[in-house]
Amino acid sequence: MFIIETNQLTKFYGKAKGIENVSLQVQEGEIFGFIGPNGAGKSTTIRTLMGLIFPTSGEAKIFGKDIISNGPQLRQEIGYLPSEVFYYDKMKVKDLLHYTAGFYKKDTKKRMNELVEIMELDTSRRIEDLSYGNKKKVGIVQGLLHSPKLIVLDEPTSGLDPLMQQKFFDIIKEEHRNGATVFFSSHILSEVQELCNRVAIIKDGSIIKTEDIKTLREDNYKKIFIKGKDLKLDQFNLQGLTRLILENNELRGFYKGDINQLTQLISQLNLKDVIIEQPTLEEIFMHYYK
Amino acid sequence: MHILKRELKSNLKGLLIWSIAMIVLVVMMTTEYSAYDSNPEMADVLSSMPEAMLKAFSMENANLTTPSGFISLASFYFSVMLGVYGVLMGSGIISKEERDKTVEFFLTLPVSRVQVIWSKLWAAVILNTGLNLITVSSIIVTLWRYNLSQDFFSFLWKLFIGIWILQMIFLSMGMFLASFLKRYKSSGKISASLLMVLYVLNVITALNSKLDFLKYITPFKYFEANKILVNNTLEGKYIMLSIVIIFVGFGLTFILYPKRDLRL
Repeated sequence: MFIIETNQLTKFYGKAKGIENVSLQVQEGEIFGFIGPNGAGKSTTIRTLMGLIFPTSGEAKIFGKDIISNGPQLRQEIGYLPSEVFYYDKMKVKDLLHYTAGFYKKDTKKRMNELVEIMELDTSRRIEDLSYGNKKKVGIVQGLLHSPKLIVLDEPTSGLDPLMQQKFFDIIKEEHRNGATVFFSSHILSEVQELCNRVAIIKDGSIIKTEDIKTLREDNYKKIFIKGKDLKLDQFNLQGLTRLILENNELRGFYKGDINQLTQLISQLNLKDVIIEQPTLEEIFMHYYK
Repeated sequence: MHILKRELKSNLKGLLIWSIAMIVLVVMMTTEYSAYDSNPEMADVLSSMPEAMLKAFSMENANLTTPSGFISLASFYFSVMLGVYGVLMGSGIISKEERDKTVEFFLTLPVSRVQVIWSKLWAAVILNTGLNLITVSSIIVTLWRYNLSQDFFSFLWKLFIGIWILQMIFLSMGMFLASFLKRYKSSGKISASLLMVLYVLNVITALNSKLDFLKYITPFKYFEANKILVNNTLEGKYIMLSIVIIFVGFGLTFILYPKRDLRL
């Protein structure tokens, strides 16, 4: 059984495409990254999963059950943190948290207090008096106070300072160690890189690749940097070299293929410096969005 | 219960403001009544007015010099005010979650939208009943010194049961419109406009007998004070019609809202 399984999930807003034929399978216990630029369909997918909007076609299951017919029951075990949080302005933080807690069947008091302490949240203040970052902290506590089996995060770190971000990641890692599955949407690759086991890349409403984060990095692409004398582009006529830029006798680019052929080619040149390294996820990502 | 409590709490301030407005209105009107009470000259003034005008404002059977007659004349203020409260409450209680962007929090909690509507419906009914009772009570208190008769109370109860039904009609229409309309920002305005259109229809109906069929369209015609004053009863066919409208309005809310995309 998959924790999240979507099958050809499609959502059109009238004629405008939200997502098309999105098929995902998230396994129990993994931290699944969902990356793509703004407007690619990340939030549309998540809002469909959360039952806020309805798919035009296709289906989605969470914990093996259809999301539309079992929504409220499924949400007992889902924690959701949207990218922007909005609460009832006049409410005090503690009232909001208790209100939220009242919807869950289990006792949430202990975990709620723990989270409040970790996030250094002042629960006596009114929502309307909170800064953006502090509202986000309320969101984190509210989304996780029931120790959900599935945590759905939609660009969760916006508005958090680096220190809080780290605390937040630590909480997510802890929940993950305790068995929670995490679905993490983001356009910031470094955070996906830090947390996730697998990622799906979404572009213009469609999944273009789902891959282990390791495989994605080892996708055999190497980032190369060569500095030498009198370098000319036609010296690099080797299949697998892409996106070469030559400037001031410095060559930058990417290589995919047999590494021996590359070293052979390089050995024939008169060089001052050479770097062959793993590209960052960001750079791999740019490759898909080219 | 959980959501109901929260809805009541969040609407308490609005109810207080409306209550104060209604009490002020009642006090102003009953103060005016002190000049009319058992004053035959006032009756003459009224009978000298053109009949069409009296009809337009449903004043043709009224006697300004008795408490019942006076309240019957003033009743259109109560109908309109309480109707506005009902229609704005109905559209607001549904659309405010989208307007304030709290849907993304509220409806991702483990609640079904049907549960949400039930709770909001109960809250709205309680609040509307509350404002209705506050209005009646303030009328009774301010007119108490005029030795109110049994007949007066009998009339007053029926009048305000009629207005309560009117509130329920507008409440159900407001909820339906907020569930149905694509733009939550306009649902309040459209709901209030609908009420005004129906009120204008009510006035027009009185002026032209060819437009008599309109009396079924505008709920303001269902339980008119001057008819209650004469017949001392609410007409059965209008009660049935009201029940049908209310059920359709609430029913469509229960059908449409759970199935539609929320605006985020």
